[in-house]
Amino acid sequence: MKEGSKFLKSKMFALLVLLLLIVVFFTIASKGTFFSLVNARNILNAIVIVALLTVGAGALMISGQIDLSTGASGTMCGILMAILLVNGWPWPVAVVVALAAGGFVGAINALLINELHFQGFIATMAMASVTQGLSYALGGAASIPVDNKVVVYMGTGRIADVVPVSIIAALLIFFVYGIMLNKTKFGRSIYLVGGNPAAASLVGIDPKRISYILFINSGVLGSLAGCLFAARLKSATTTGIVSSQFAGMTAAILGGVSFGGGSGGMFGAFVGLLILNSFSNGMTLIKISPYWQTFASGALLLFALALDFSGAKKKN
Amino acid sequence: MENMSAAKRLLRSKLFSLAAVTAVVVLIFYLIRRSYLGVDNIRGILNSMSLSGTIGVGMACLLIGGGVDLAAGAEGCFGGVMVALLISKAGAPWPVALVAVILIGAAIGAFNAFLINVLNFMGFIATIGVSSMLQGIINIITKARNISISDRGFWSIGTVAVANLFTLPFMIMAALVVVYGIILSRTRFGRTVYMCGGNRRAARLSGLNPKKISTILYINCGALASLGGAILAARMHSGSPKAVLGSELDAITAAVLGGVSFMGGAGNMGGCFIGLLLLCSFNNGLISVKLASYWTIVAQGVLLIAALIADYFNVRARARELKAAGA
Amino acid sequence: MDTYLEFRGIGKSFPGVQALDDISFTVSGGRVCAILGENGAGKSTLLKILSGDIQPGAGGVYINGAEQRFTSPYQAIRSGISVIYQERQLIPAMNVMENIFLGDIPAGRAGFVDRAELRGRTQEIIDSFGLPIHPLELVGRLPVAYQQMVEIMKAYRRNSKIIAFDEPTASLTDSEISILFELIGKLRNDGKIVLYVSHRLSEIFQITDEIVVLKDGRFVKTLETRETDEQELITAMVGRDIGDTYSGLKRNDRYGETLLEVSHLETAAVHDISFELKSGEILGLSGLVGAGRTEVVRAIFGADAIISGEIKLEGKPVHFKKPGDAIAAGIALCPEDRKEQGLVLLRSIRDNITAPVLDKVRKGLFLDKKAEDEVAGDAIKKYSIKTPSSDKPVLELSGGNQQKVILGRWTSSKMVTKVLILDEPTKGIDVGTKAEVYRIVCDFARDGIGVIFISSELTEVINVADRIIVMRNGRITGEVRREEASEESVLALAMSE
Repeated sequence: MKEGSKFLKSKMFALLVLLLLIVVFFTIASKGTFFSLVNARNILNAIVIVALLTVGAGALMISGQIDLSTGASGTMCGILMAILLVNGWPWPVAVVVALAAGGFVGAINALLINELHFQGFIATMAMASVTQGLSYALGGAASIPVDNKVVVYMGTGRIADVVPVSIIAALLIFFVYGIMLNKTKFGRSIYLVGGNPAAASLVGIDPKRISYILFINSGVLGSLAGCLFAARLKSATTTGIVSSQFAGMTAAILGGVSFGGGSGGMFGAFVGLLILNSFSNGMTLIKISPYWQTFASGALLLFALALDFSGAKKKN
Repeated sequence: MENMSAAKRLLRSKLFSLAAVTAVVVLIFYLIRRSYLGVDNIRGILNSMSLSGTIGVGMACLLIGGGVDLAAGAEGCFGGVMVALLISKAGAPWPVALVAVILIGAAIGAFNAFLINVLNFMGFIATIGVSSMLQGIINIITKARNISISDRGFWSIGTVAVANLFTLPFMIMAALVVVYGIILSRTRFGRTVYMCGGNRRAARLSGLNPKKISTILYINCGALASLGGAILAARMHSGSPKAVLGSELDAITAAVLGGVSFMGGAGNMGGCFIGLLLLCSFNNGLISVKLASYWTIVAQGVLLIAALIADYFNVRARARELKAAGA
Repeated sequence: MDTYLEFRGIGKSFPGVQALDDISFTVSGGRVCAILGENGAGKSTLLKILSGDIQPGAGGVYINGAEQRFTSPYQAIRSGISVIYQERQLIPAMNVMENIFLGDIPAGRAGFVDRAELRGRTQEIIDSFGLPIHPLELVGRLPVAYQQMVEIMKAYRRNSKIIAFDEPTASLTDSEISILFELIGKLRNDGKIVLYVSHRLSEIFQITDEIVVLKDGRFVKTLETRETDEQELITAMVGRDIGDTYSGLKRNDRYGETLLEVSHLETAAVHDISFELKSGEILGLSGLVGAGRTEVVRAIFGADAIISGEIKLEGKPVHFKKPGDAIAAGIALCPEDRKEQGLVLLRSIRDNITAPVLDKVRKGLFLDKKAEDEVAGDAIKKYSIKTPSSDKPVLELSGGNQQKVILGRWTSSKMVTKVLILDEPTKGIDVGTKAEVYRIVCDFARDGIGVIFISSELTEVINVADRIIVMRNGRITGEVRREEASEESVLALAMSE
């Protein structure tokens, strides 16, 4: 008991130290701009989209699976919502249809993986290709304006003119999923399936059901992220949130969600996400080329894996 | 002996059915559009095979050995950009530049191998990270612009053609297919690759070194991807920071279409070649019937899924056969 | 003939565990040496060090007095050591000759494979063993026993001086074991050093010359097989006298109503299976490996699809579509392979025990940790599972304790288990824990639970079960009562045409 929690604490501790170092470094490098209320809000603000993807990817990874299509399918859903709004559909219907489309893509992923036994990453990569193509087919080269007031408010609105709605949504989502994983039967089942699907199935848990739910969940959250992103930019484009997907996975791995499945949690993923976003926000603040950020996102992914690796090694 | 010929027959029939599908695809596009089978278009198809094929040879070996390299596209891009830089900016003679670029690709492959075999990262996630890093580096060096090449000697790699049909890039690719096909099926090293892909632990405990094999295959894949990118640069007279991105997916699709199993340990080069032919005739066909290019992106995903579905039924049939034989 | 193998002062520790501590002994050529010890005694670790799979923390392996330093299995193989593990190191999709020459395929210049030579040499080896195996047969299609023979031929082909077997008979049937023993005899006559790790004492007496006993990672003593007996061995192994394993069992002699009734069950793997199980009865299910025993119980449990036939539980027809349905109805299955199918190794003892009863340990939406700890604590106490707390990952327990976690899962206070199915519950666990498992099984029966007991060990199934159903090729070939059962009668049914 003590050994386990000590180890967990020490890893969490390492992450928090890393976060602190990043804050200190960029505060000095940016001559104080980094450490301001406005910037803190910027960081949190930027977190929302990735947070949704992190939660979806994290839950899937704990169950031992992966979804590389969320970015592309979320982007497609954002475009879908924008098109429906342009065509005069009422906003609740447009949003629900877009979310359903995300869920549908997730269901297809789950179908390919569970019924036809494809490898997860290759099946979802293929679906990423399909949905990305559909984004182009739907949206074309131009961006589609999103001007519905309610939808835009969800992306950009603030409560009492200070706290962005979307931040609250993101924190809430982390909280809800954290509780779900830790405290509910369903959450426990996810860990058991991730640790050993055959054993889980023989104690009456249906790994297929879990897989379908989590893939659909990941698709819906991806779609929500795509719609929020479009709402925030007040337009939907084909680039959308494609690249945010790796940030989501990186944050989850950084925060201790293990790829083998069976371990990790939402609090860690949240800290991972904070680290990731403080880092990229800091890079932008001190005016480093966005290309370096592409580089850094890959490097951070490898770093996250390395952290996971050293943790696993300690445990053995 | 009976078993052997039965196995061969099975293999043949699979290759045969794949070839038949390819023929049907070609026929359909031909019926829609007669110019599809014109000399120019055939040359186009064969030429388009060269990029995914050159990368595909390395990828197929890697898949058979139980690995995967999702950075292959970025590696190819890097190769194209570097060859352009070396020739145009550093003034290196093109053969030197070409060799240098292959070595650079090998070095990237070695880095992948380090992550996977020394740090024990999962192959696909590690190479996704490397791909992202490479794309960053490429854009930093090129500022996201094409780098043009004016060395006509280097251009000739892209223009020389036999019988106005078989271009040099295609022939290089075809030669690679043949050479690697022989290595895989006839040499001790080739057998070792299958063994490591088929049962890694068994291979290790039998005195083989799966990490060494995997390292060689990653280096090989990086080198070939880089070569593929350089050849594309010769055809386009410039090194592009993004032209090769995504071709790792083509390479994987072609290999899986051709019967390389994602579980490792199965597949061969002949199948990959036909898989590639099918993929490229299909893509070319979509363009030649004037479907908007984004539909080819959709089609690619669909084709990959179709290939995997075929693989699934194949594996299931084999399992059933094994069961029947056991009973 | 003069080859000798020496372990000198070998130590190996893993974080928190001293797996081996100062192990020293010597084995000479032409001898079969058993390595015996309870689970966790360090036998597998010792074999892994011998094979170069892991490196010792202290001391070393010496062959003919020369120290051997292996950093990989390759070097151990080069030094003439072959270790044949429990799980076969073969590639099913490749043929016999490629597997025999795995890692060392004969090749000419430029590395081209010489198929004619490969085949010729393979045939020579096969002939010298006198086995009816074809060099081009795919290994995946061979019966399990022959796959094991391929492993042995692989070791023979390498001209290994030292051949170690890790539980070689675990998945073999008695008839197949006799083929294996003949081969081991041949290896001994050729002057090889044979190390033999097994839990089965009868086998050890049958084929070994000497016995090295390990306990808790330490060397206890070496015994000459001819000069010792079972009692002395067990005492040496467990450090106490456990008496006759079977005669002390408190059996249940009062059966209740018929609990489970299976009639004409038909699945892809088994045909026309009919039997009954009464409450309080222990029903043995015997047969050769692959006879369909596991498939029968998986079908009853809802894990495999049923084509036709009927299953009645307490007189009512039931149709379990998935294991969850069967569990809800009171059927429990301890699967054959603890680590692959039984446990979630990374999760805690508590999580593993409460997995099927999560619905009963929650308050509203949320799981109640206190209730969970109670359930787990009960099981830990009831089966004396050796662990400091229920938070410990199952991974860190010994095999016997892991098996107890599974038993605890199905018999917790929150479970209403009517039918308990045990598939090879004593596979790979030590004699002491085996005796405990038998006792627990009899306790279940006395509590009115109907037990289906699958085992490949004839002695065990004959002594534990009240009635034994024997299967062959997916069909039931006969039934014997315990009073009439002998190893011969059961084996005859298992092999009858």
